[in-house]
Amino acid sequence: MSTRFPLISAKPSRLITVALSWFLFVAGACLYLYTAAARHRENPEDRVTPTIGQMVHGMFGAALTSPDQDVDPTQPATVVQRFSRGMLWKDTLATGRRFFYSMALLLPAVVLGLHMGLFPYVGAFFLRFVLFFDKIIALSLLPILFIAFGIDELSKIMLIVVGVTPTIILDTFNLARTVPGEQVVKAFTLGAGDFDVAYRVVLKQIWPRVLNSIRLNLKAVMLFLFAGEMIASTDGLAYRIALLRRHMGMDVIIPYVLWVALLLFLVDLAMRLVNRKLHPWFRES
Amino acid sequence: MLRRTFLLLILLAGSSTAFAEKPSFTVGWSVYAGWTPYHYLARSGILRKWADKYGITIKVQRFDYAPSLDAFVAKNIDACTMTNMEALDMPAASGVPTTAILIGDYSNGNDALLVRNGLQIKDLSGKKLLLVQKTVSEYLFDRAMTMNGLRDQIKQVRLINTSDSDIATAFLSDASSSAVVTWKPLVSQILKQKGITSLFSSSQIPGEILDLTVVRTDVLNRPDGAGQRLAKALTGAWYELMGQMSGTGPSADKVLAAIAEGSEDTLESYKQQLSTTKMFYTPQSAVQFGSSADLKQKMALVRQFCFDHGLLGSNSQSVDDVAIAFPDASVQGKPDRVRLRFDTSYMQMATQGKL
Repeated sequence: MSTRFPLISAKPSRLITVALSWFLFVAGACLYLYTAAARHRENPEDRVTPTIGQMVHGMFGAALTSPDQDVDPTQPATVVQRFSRGMLWKDTLATGRRFFYSMALLLPAVVLGLHMGLFPYVGAFFLRFVLFFDKIIALSLLPILFIAFGIDELSKIMLIVVGVTPTIILDTFNLARTVPGEQVVKAFTLGAGDFDVAYRVVLKQIWPRVLNSIRLNLKAVMLFLFAGEMIASTDGLAYRIALLRRHMGMDVIIPYVLWVALLLFLVDLAMRLVNRKLHPWFRES
Repeated sequence: MLRRTFLLLILLAGSSTAFAEKPSFTVGWSVYAGWTPYHYLARSGILRKWADKYGITIKVQRFDYAPSLDAFVAKNIDACTMTNMEALDMPAASGVPTTAILIGDYSNGNDALLVRNGLQIKDLSGKKLLLVQKTVSEYLFDRAMTMNGLRDQIKQVRLINTSDSDIATAFLSDASSSAVVTWKPLVSQILKQKGITSLFSSSQIPGEILDLTVVRTDVLNRPDGAGQRLAKALTGAWYELMGQMSGTGPSADKVLAAIAEGSEDTLESYKQQLSTTKMFYTPQSAVQFGSSADLKQKMALVRQFCFDHGLLGSNSQSVDDVAIAFPDASVQGKPDRVRLRFDTSYMQMATQGKL
């Protein structure tokens, strides 16, 4: 009997790899199309599972019609003008703005985590509280957030900050602790000061891992952002989805969800590329 | 020979009814003064008694409002409680023909427009207004502005879509929002705060926000007749309970307290909500309202609102695409596109004691 070929060492050809990696996409799409077709045969006005044509139509409508009814649709306008006034673009801008504000607020969290990891007094001061805060389910504190930050932009961004920063702080803290103590001692003997060690020795080494950790938390950021927009808002991608749900506008909701997935994927990809460019020595990403 | 076949047939028929499962149906309800009775109907055994009488099984399930509509449209449940507006813009507009078999009540003050600092309705332009958009709340606001001759100012009010689970705290804690449209018991909770007054309520548009029990038309028309038995059982049970609710004294209070329990509410609070709910306690009153010209007039307003706000779906080119049929067989909209029916025949049977 010949020795069994270990599957772990298999080297599938490029064609098979590509085919396998797309199989579930195709299967999912087929399953959807089959269901949609079956439901439409039974009820031609079905809105739960729109056909591709309906979704394309719905998405064109969302991209090219203005959410404000004061824009006169009969007035001539170029496609670009119509798109820039369309609800898809406006919603994306509103959500994108909130998203980047909250991403910017994650940077202080990284700095805090770094200091907690390196400076024992800072660690002693914050660690226990952040550990506790990390376990708080931010969504259940909404009424308090409303009282403290109103119901406008600030409360939505704070919801993300409260929900995601503790994770980032603790992760940076742990990463900062993994840097060998010998390196710190060595830097001191070479004449470095506290902040040289913190920013030029430790932060520089852990930065690619911190970026990875933020990348993994993108979805949490988006989840909190969507929750905030669904609770109280006048624009944004999740606002539109919440409104459309009231009359089963799945022909727009499904493309919107795919659009959000695409945007998130692009942000993730961009962060990965930046990480690779900035830290060519880092091989884990 | 003939006799033997006959006997055999009888035997077969007997055995098949004995062994076949009873047809089973699910009714979905959500918390609202006029719908919480379903909780008691199921718990007290009244519904089971009527279901047994008609040889069917009826399950009762509590939902949040929006998911109950989703479940009904997805055909996961057979009957559901909803307002006339949602019956039109959710199932009917999604191509799920729907029949209203019970007109339970109309909101007679349950929904209200509240403001801070003694604002007047003409001052709302440019101010922040919290509400759940594209629901009866926006309808109420639309009607309030229209009836005060401020229709052209509707677009100047900054509507903020706010989830009903957070709307009370959001409004109370954010002093920059000037107005809110919501419903009881949230309205009572908000009104307790100083400096908040009610500008407009559904008591000024009686009969426009109706609370119905609807059944999918294809369920109602099942060839085995079980759908009609469902409608009869629901109607019978409903009016038996209405009789108990409308009474006075400790026995009625006991029933009301048990109903209130269905929404974790107190007897006092529930009575307060009922005071602004015009219940049709008798089938006569419901039939009378259901066959009046009034109903058609109100539905004309509602369907126009739904169409203007795009709630009838992007495929609907005209308000007539989702048509409504009334008990006298008249139709609003295209006769070949009837999606919502008001059927008073079961309530009529209740008036004649034929259930």
